[in-house]
Amino acid sequence: MKKTNIDEINRNIYDIKNKDIYDYKSKKGLTKEIIEEISKQKSDPDWMREFRLKALETYNKLELPTWGPDISELNMNDISIYVRPKSKLNNSWEDVPDDIKKTFDNLGIPEAEKKSLAGVGAQYDSEVVYHSMKEDLIKQGVIYTDMETAVKEYPDIVKKYFMKCVPVYDHKFVALHGAVWSGGSFVYVPKGVKVDIPLQSYFRLNSPESGQFEHTLIIVDEGASLHFIEGCSAPKYNKVNLHAGCVELYVKENAYLRYSTIENWSKNMLNLNTKKAIVEKNGQIDWVTGSFGSKISMLYPMSILNGEGSKTEFTGISFAGKGQNLDNGFKVVHNAPNTSSVVNAKSISKNGGKCTYRSLVRINEDAKNSKSSVSCESLMLDDISISDTIPTNDIRNDEVEFSHEAKIGKISDKTIFYLMSRGLSEEDAKAMIVRGFAYPISKELPVEYAVEMNNLINLELEGAIG
Amino acid sequence: MLLEVKDLFVNAGEKEILKGINLKINAGEIHVIMGPNGSGKTTTANAILNNPLYQKKSGEIIFEGENINNLKTDEIARRGIFMSFQLPEEIPGVSVTNFLKYAKGKVTGKPVKIFEFKNELKKYMDELKMNPKNMDRSLNVGFSGGEKKKNEILQLLVLNPKLAILDETDSGLDVDAIKTVSKGIEMFKTNENSVLIITHNTKILHSLKPDYVHVLVDGKIVKTGDASLAKEIEENGYEKYKN
Amino acid sequence: MEILKLNETPVRTSRNFNINNIKLENVKIPEVVKNFTNVKIKNETDKIKIDSNLDELFLNYGVGNIFVEQVKKIANKKLKITIDTKIKKEVFIDFTLDEENNNLIDNIEIIANENSKATIYLKYESKISAFHNGVLKVIAKENSNIDVVIVNLLSSSTNNFLSVENEILDNAKVNFVIVDFGGNASITNLYSNIIGNEAENNINTIYLGKDNQLKDINYICDLKGKKSNVNIEVQGALKDSAKKHFKGTIDFKRGCKKSKGNENEFCMLLSDKAKSLALPMLLCSEEDVEGNHSSSAGKIGEKQLFYIMSRGFELKEAMKLIVRANFNNIIETIKNDEIKNRILYEIDTILD
Repeated sequence: MKKTNIDEINRNIYDIKNKDIYDYKSKKGLTKEIIEEISKQKSDPDWMREFRLKALETYNKLELPTWGPDISELNMNDISIYVRPKSKLNNSWEDVPDDIKKTFDNLGIPEAEKKSLAGVGAQYDSEVVYHSMKEDLIKQGVIYTDMETAVKEYPDIVKKYFMKCVPVYDHKFVALHGAVWSGGSFVYVPKGVKVDIPLQSYFRLNSPESGQFEHTLIIVDEGASLHFIEGCSAPKYNKVNLHAGCVELYVKENAYLRYSTIENWSKNMLNLNTKKAIVEKNGQIDWVTGSFGSKISMLYPMSILNGEGSKTEFTGISFAGKGQNLDNGFKVVHNAPNTSSVVNAKSISKNGGKCTYRSLVRINEDAKNSKSSVSCESLMLDDISISDTIPTNDIRNDEVEFSHEAKIGKISDKTIFYLMSRGLSEEDAKAMIVRGFAYPISKELPVEYAVEMNNLINLELEGAIG
Repeated sequence: MLLEVKDLFVNAGEKEILKGINLKINAGEIHVIMGPNGSGKTTTANAILNNPLYQKKSGEIIFEGENINNLKTDEIARRGIFMSFQLPEEIPGVSVTNFLKYAKGKVTGKPVKIFEFKNELKKYMDELKMNPKNMDRSLNVGFSGGEKKKNEILQLLVLNPKLAILDETDSGLDVDAIKTVSKGIEMFKTNENSVLIITHNTKILHSLKPDYVHVLVDGKIVKTGDASLAKEIEENGYEKYKN
Repeated sequence: MEILKLNETPVRTSRNFNINNIKLENVKIPEVVKNFTNVKIKNETDKIKIDSNLDELFLNYGVGNIFVEQVKKIANKKLKITIDTKIKKEVFIDFTLDEENNNLIDNIEIIANENSKATIYLKYESKISAFHNGVLKVIAKENSNIDVVIVNLLSSSTNNFLSVENEILDNAKVNFVIVDFGGNASITNLYSNIIGNEAENNINTIYLGKDNQLKDINYICDLKGKKSNVNIEVQGALKDSAKKHFKGTIDFKRGCKKSKGNENEFCMLLSDKAKSLALPMLLCSEEDVEGNHSSSAGKIGEKQLFYIMSRGFELKEAMKLIVRANFNNIIETIKNDEIKNRILYEIDTILD
């Protein structure tokens, strides 16, 4: 099983580098002048240019986090914050320039679009190069476009929601994002519309010593539902790349949103991403996350349950190998009665990698009759790796049911012996146990991603076990 | 000769458990090892499968004319020895079907045809009165004691080894379940393959006719006889074999 | 007045979570203190030596620098307890803070030598507004087995600061029972350095909070020896506007193969203004270990309450019964009946 999978997938598809050909690449560094120049290049409306400059001021005021992984190697003076590819926005793959199209072909995006997606957005470096959605969704009033188009065509909606869920002063890298954001997707699902087939945006960073700062804004209106998938990857370079995206999700009354992510950045990436959802009455946001890539990741999706009866589920797995420090987790704030949250987080550490589960569950004074249950499991595959669990549980009223459980351990020798007695080699036995460990997460992913995740696990286990 | 155990001494950690076991099993035979708790029955099974938790100090295990003392467990399994566990392990996230399909591919060395395989599995599960839903459940996770034991026999039938070692397969089962499990073993048994039953009680022997019965006390086989020996122990216990 | 940041966790998390440390304002820290005289020591055996010749052992953590320094400089009660053999008789040390002795700054060292065994009770009590800052260091040498019971019954206008550390060597065992009922702000730090192979540390804590009481509990357990073991069990109940911060860290250091660590924390909320904040951390740099933690909070189960009330108990009595039932496993580990009864009495009084 393992062998055939290895034959089917080639790690290199993620690592294929295109030449660093661009239409425009900003000077390295982060200054007022550079921001103004980007704003001009992007033909921002005035309000957006001012927004960027204000965000830059906030960035300069805020300090780096005093906790978590060491990110002192990040020097903004080494990074080009804006790289415009040599391509306009297209709605047909035919029109996308060959080298860029080939990249997405290799990643299987156009094929997945034909088979199992209702719409696709594809970003290359700082700009979206392809966006398309099925005709019937357009007819139902669903909007799925790149963020730049949204700023121009739907200014009222964007002004109302843009960086309101995640305000620029949240933390330093959100402020950075506010100043330099580029690309990303905008989705609006009108009242009562159920989008049965997922939409997917894929983010590819090709340019060395650069950053990607896409902004995703999704509004699922009353009674509507959506499954949105985000994928990301980059080829590996020697110097650090930076990803500081921002995802803002608004889930209205009785609406449902599932947000799935497979993160497979290259191992020179600093992934300092921010994701937040505000959920109204009886709405629900479900997060499904597989985190495999990046050198350092600090990512804690957050659900703010503002409406009575709103719900959230978080299902996530992190897999840290050599040289990786994945500091991931989840935050939830219960602000209304009868709200509920369920967390199922897993991590695997091997080859000196470090996984941290860091979280917050806050049940506020008004969130009477709320429930929260958290389960964390960590697997250590050797004795040179690290696995930390750092959950904060903040309970501020008595009408709650709250429970948190966490486990750390290794694969048991007895289990390995049992599987070997059925003819499996030791490596196969371990791989089977690890895949089984990850299964509750992979089964939540769309089929092709679940396969990709299993393949990634097999790849990560190659050479690590034996 | 299918299996020969010669003067086997085995430790579990510092403790000496087996103190010179000798055993010969020919193709087509059913053997039974009986003995009180702690006499070394489970150790015998684990030593044959080379569980690293047990260390062979001396002696030989010969399977089909070849010394398998130092083969890895999976190599032993692929040569045709199966062990039904007293306490089967739980493997979350791996379904019974997927696991068995994979294991069968490993043991036979041939790709498994899915359709045929599922039919075969279904047939066996019917015979063993197993809930068909268990096919898609995680291996042994949340299974009752009886379900776990039946699942071991299901694996025996699917993997179809040359020698089946059944470690306390009957313990903790009610009368009906013992009948079902015995039926499963009968389905497996042919004139070419062999069974080694390890047990401390004799209920399962009412339906299976052993060719040889060995009494294991304190790490040694103290008596070997035919089926009547099991009957005698059922009546009188192990007292007279203890020192 | 200066804001004190105390009881820092060994690993920081997001500042917005308000749990990396506890900030206290308007804490009066006495600068000059007279000798503390109101201490009763009941020691019926000459196998345990009690004197004031401290070894001045090094402290790794502590509640906060200012308090550790204060103990070093101006402790007004110093006790060194040396245990040489296995002793059945228990030692009782009772500190009563009163008008004459309203500041207690104690420095206690317990040295359990090889193969020794003993039980030590430390009780802190006051009816008046007072101040307590203490350091307790326990050294458990090879094969020793030491039980330490710490009972805080200070008045709710007394600030209580306690820094505990232990060092556990091969095959030694230290059992703590910590009863944390008193104090306005009661800040406890416990650092457990489990160095030895097959060393064991059990920390059992019960706490009760009422009015505006604050409990800040910070336990840090480093597992270093092979096959070592730590169990942390914390049970508590909060009424009125009481607040509790629990920070419990089990750190599996590289090399502590086959060690186990368990941590279980449960907070009963008896009022809608009570607040429970918890950070149960598991840090792990070793593969061959088993670590578990669980943390939960909520009010007393309504079914349970209904059942007890259907037997004729009024609400308050039923609540007391359930709290006592939850504390029972820990209270039962206390062998001395007088202390045990006193604790049960205090539970009844506080929950009245």
